[in-house]
Amino acid sequence: MRPLQIKPGPITLGQITLARLLVLSPVGSWSAAQEAGDSPAPTPPAKVPAGVILVKGAWSSASDSTTPVPEGGRATDREYHSSYFQLTYPFATGWKQKFAGPPPSDRGYYVLAEIEPADAHLGNLLIEAQDSFFAATSSNATELVSYTAAHLRADNQVERPPTQMTLAGRRFARLDYVSPVTELHRTLLVTQVRCHTVHFTFTSTDPRVIDHLIDGMNAMTLADSATPLCIKDYATGTNVLNRVDPILTDRRFNSIPVRVVIDTSGKVKFIHFISSFPDQARTITDALQQWRFKPYLVGGKAVEVETGMVFGVPPNRPMISGKQDPQLPPARKHETT
Amino acid sequence: MSRIQPPAAFAVGLLLISAASAQTDPGVRPGAVNGQTGATATSPLPLASVTANTPQGVLEFFNDGLDRFQEVDNVSGGTAGTGLGPRFNFNQCAACHSQPTFGGSSPANNPEASVISAGIVSASTNSIPSFITANGPTREARFPFFFNANGTANTAAPNGGVEDLYTVSGRGDAGACNLQQPSFGLAQAANNLIFRIPTPVFGAGLVENIDDSTLLNNQSAQAGNGLGISGTFNRNGNDGTIARFGWKAQNKSLELFAGEAYNVEMGISNEIFPQERPLPGEEVLGSGLPTNCLNLARKGYPEDITNFAATTGSDQFATNASIPSDLIAFTMFMKLLAPPTPSTTVPGGATSISHGSAVFNSIGCSVCHTPTLRSTQASNVTPSLGGAAVSAFSDFEVHHMGTGLNDNVSQGNAGGDQFRTAPLWGVGQRIFFLHDGRTSNLLTAIRAHSSSGSEANATVSNFNSLSTASQQDVLNFLRSL
Repeated sequence: MRPLQIKPGPITLGQITLARLLVLSPVGSWSAAQEAGDSPAPTPPAKVPAGVILVKGAWSSASDSTTPVPEGGRATDREYHSSYFQLTYPFATGWKQKFAGPPPSDRGYYVLAEIEPADAHLGNLLIEAQDSFFAATSSNATELVSYTAAHLRADNQVERPPTQMTLAGRRFARLDYVSPVTELHRTLLVTQVRCHTVHFTFTSTDPRVIDHLIDGMNAMTLADSATPLCIKDYATGTNVLNRVDPILTDRRFNSIPVRVVIDTSGKVKFIHFISSFPDQARTITDALQQWRFKPYLVGGKAVEVETGMVFGVPPNRPMISGKQDPQLPPARKHETT
Repeated sequence: MSRIQPPAAFAVGLLLISAASAQTDPGVRPGAVNGQTGATATSPLPLASVTANTPQGVLEFFNDGLDRFQEVDNVSGGTAGTGLGPRFNFNQCAACHSQPTFGGSSPANNPEASVISAGIVSASTNSIPSFITANGPTREARFPFFFNANGTANTAAPNGGVEDLYTVSGRGDAGACNLQQPSFGLAQAANNLIFRIPTPVFGAGLVENIDDSTLLNNQSAQAGNGLGISGTFNRNGNDGTIARFGWKAQNKSLELFAGEAYNVEMGISNEIFPQERPLPGEEVLGSGLPTNCLNLARKGYPEDITNFAATTGSDQFATNASIPSDLIAFTMFMKLLAPPTPSTTVPGGATSISHGSAVFNSIGCSVCHTPTLRSTQASNVTPSLGGAAVSAFSDFEVHHMGTGLNDNVSQGNAGGDQFRTAPLWGVGQRIFFLHDGRTSNLLTAIRAHSSSGSEANATVSNFNSLSTASQQDVLNFLRSL
C-alpha cells in the first residue's frame, strides 16, 4: 500500500482534513439522531463496510423510531412478523427469506417479504402491500383481483376465475393463473388491512406446492386495529383548519408520499415519509407540525385518523376509483364537529 | 374448476434437473457485427435515413463524427486533437467504446493496460493500477467517499466522482506539469473503490427522441406487476424532464453525455464543460490543478471548440460537417447510429430464441427490460428518428438493485443502489456485463440482480424455478439480441 504522506501536488494532509466539513445528511430514521456533543465522535471504520447501502436516494423515514411502519416487518428463519399490519406468517418447513426486499416506492408500494424454499425450483412467495392512499389501481381487494385477471400479461391464462376464500378467519380475494410458456402457476391472494391491500403471490411449477402453502396460511395471524381510522384524502377541504405549505427548493421533481396519524385534538401525531430525501422530510415536517385538522368523531367521540398526502410532483398513475369491498362491514357514518 | 396438474413424470424430472446446472452462456454471438450486413469492427452502420442521406448532408455529419470518434488526442502540438489531460483514462473514444464496433462497449483487450508500452503515458510518473488488466474490462474508477486524514474512508462525506487513471506528467508534450495518480491502492485497501465500464451508444438517438409521456405511460402500465418491481425516473434538475443516459440515467441529452465524457474521461474541456477538471478532492478542497498543468495545449479554453474557419475544399457538406466542435461531432455520431439488429436464429436456433423471449417476458424480466417502447416523437433531424419503435429492452427507469450491485455513488436522484435498466439491445455481442464489468458470463449477471434490497429478487427467483432447458432458452434469447 502506498503510504499517505505529503507530496508535491495539489492535496496535503491538512486539506484532506478539511474534507470532513462535507457531511452527508444522516440516512434512515432521522428521529433517532443524538444532540451534538452527547457522545464522542465514533472511530472511523478501517474499511467501507461491504454490502451496506450508505448513499441513498429517496428513502423511507419516520418522525419516531417506535411507531410501527409498514416496511418495519422482519423475517426470521421461521416467520414474517409485522407490527404495523399485526401480521405473523409462519413459513412452511424449509422455506425462508433469502433476501430482504427493496425500500418502499414513491407510489406507496412495499415488498414485505420474499420467501423461497431451499430448492429454488419449487417456487417462491412474495408478500407485498400497496398503500390505499396512493394506489395506482383499486384499493379494494375484490376489485383489484378482478382488475388483475382482466389485465394479465399476454402469456398468462386464468386458471380459476376470481373468487373469495377465508384463511385464518379473514376474507381474501383469490385469483389463480398460469403461464403455459414457463409452466409457472401463480395464486394471488389479496386482503385489506389498515389502509393497505396486502398481497400474497405464490409461484410454482407444481400447483400442489401452492395449495400446501395456502393451507398453511391458516396458521397466520392478521388483525385489524380499531385505531387509527383510515380515511383517504382527509387532509383536504374543510377538514384542514390550518395549513402551512412546505417550500421545497431542491428541484428534484420527485413524488413524496407521506402518511400521517392525526391525534384526537387534530394535531399531527406521527409522520411517515414513504419516500423522500432527508432535507425534504425536514422541510415537510416543519410544515406539518403547524397543520391543524378537525377532530374526527365516531359516536360523538374523537378518534385518531390515519391519512395520506403527496408533496412534490404528483405521482404518475392511471386512477381507478376504489370502492368499499362489498364483503366488508358497511362504512361507518362520519361525524365531524 | 380444477387446477391444471403437471404430469407426475414432469415433477420427477424437475427434481433430477435441479441437481444439475447445465445451462451455459453461449458467449459472444458470432457473425455479422451488430447483426447488420455491411457493418465492420471499425464501421458501424448509421440509421437507414442517414444512409440515404436524408436530409441531404446528414451522412457527412455521421461520417465526420465517426472519424473524430477515432481521433487520437495529444496534450499539445498541432491544431487538432489536442487538450488531452492533465488527467485522463484514455486518449481515444473509439478505443474503449469498440465492442463489437465503434460506439460499443469494452473490448476484449483492454487498451488502458498498455498505455505505458504504447507510449501514451510515462513509466516514470505512471503505473498501471492493479484493477486494469490486459484481458479485463476497460474501466473508470471512483472513490465513493472522501478520505480522512488517517487514510480511512469518511462515510459521512460522499465523493463518487471519476478518479482518472493516468496523468500527462512526463509526456514530451506536457511541459512541466507534475501530477500524481490517485491513491488507488489506498482506496482498494479501504474498500473505497468502484468501477464503471463504457456504455454502448448504439441507437442512442432513438433513446434521446423518446417522449417523456411514452416513458410515463409505460411505467403506469407496469404498475401492479406483482413482482416487487417499482422503479422511478431520474430527472434533469433544470427542467424536471426525464434523464436517460448513463448507468444511473443521470444525463438528459447526448450532447451533455458527450461533453461530460470528453471532459472527465479524456480531460478535454469543451463548450459545455469549459473548465479543466481536477480530481474531486482537488476541486472540493479548493486547491484545483497546479498552474503548470493548465492550458497545456496553449490554446486557451475550452480546448474543443467550433471550427470557425473550417474549409474542406469544394464539398460544402463536408465543410458543414467539419465546422462543429468535436463535442457536437460525437453527439451527431451517437445520435445517428443505428441500433443493433437481433438474430432470429443464432444462438440455439429459432425455436429456442422464440421460447426464450416468451419466458423472458413471462417471468418478469420485461417489466424493467421493456422490449419495445412506442414510439419516438417526430424528428427534425432525420426521418428514422421519428415515429420509431425503440426496441432497447429498457424502461429507462432507475431501480433498486440491492446490496450486491450497490456502488454507493449517487447521481441525480439515483442513490447508491439504484441503476438505470441497462438496455439489452446488442447484449449478444458484449463481453463484459453489469456497471463494473465484473463478469463475462450472462448467467452470473442475471443472478447478480438478486441481493438484499433488490427489486429483481422475485424475478430471479422465477428464473431459478425454470427448467434447465428454459433457462438455456433465455440465455440463447439474450445472446440473440
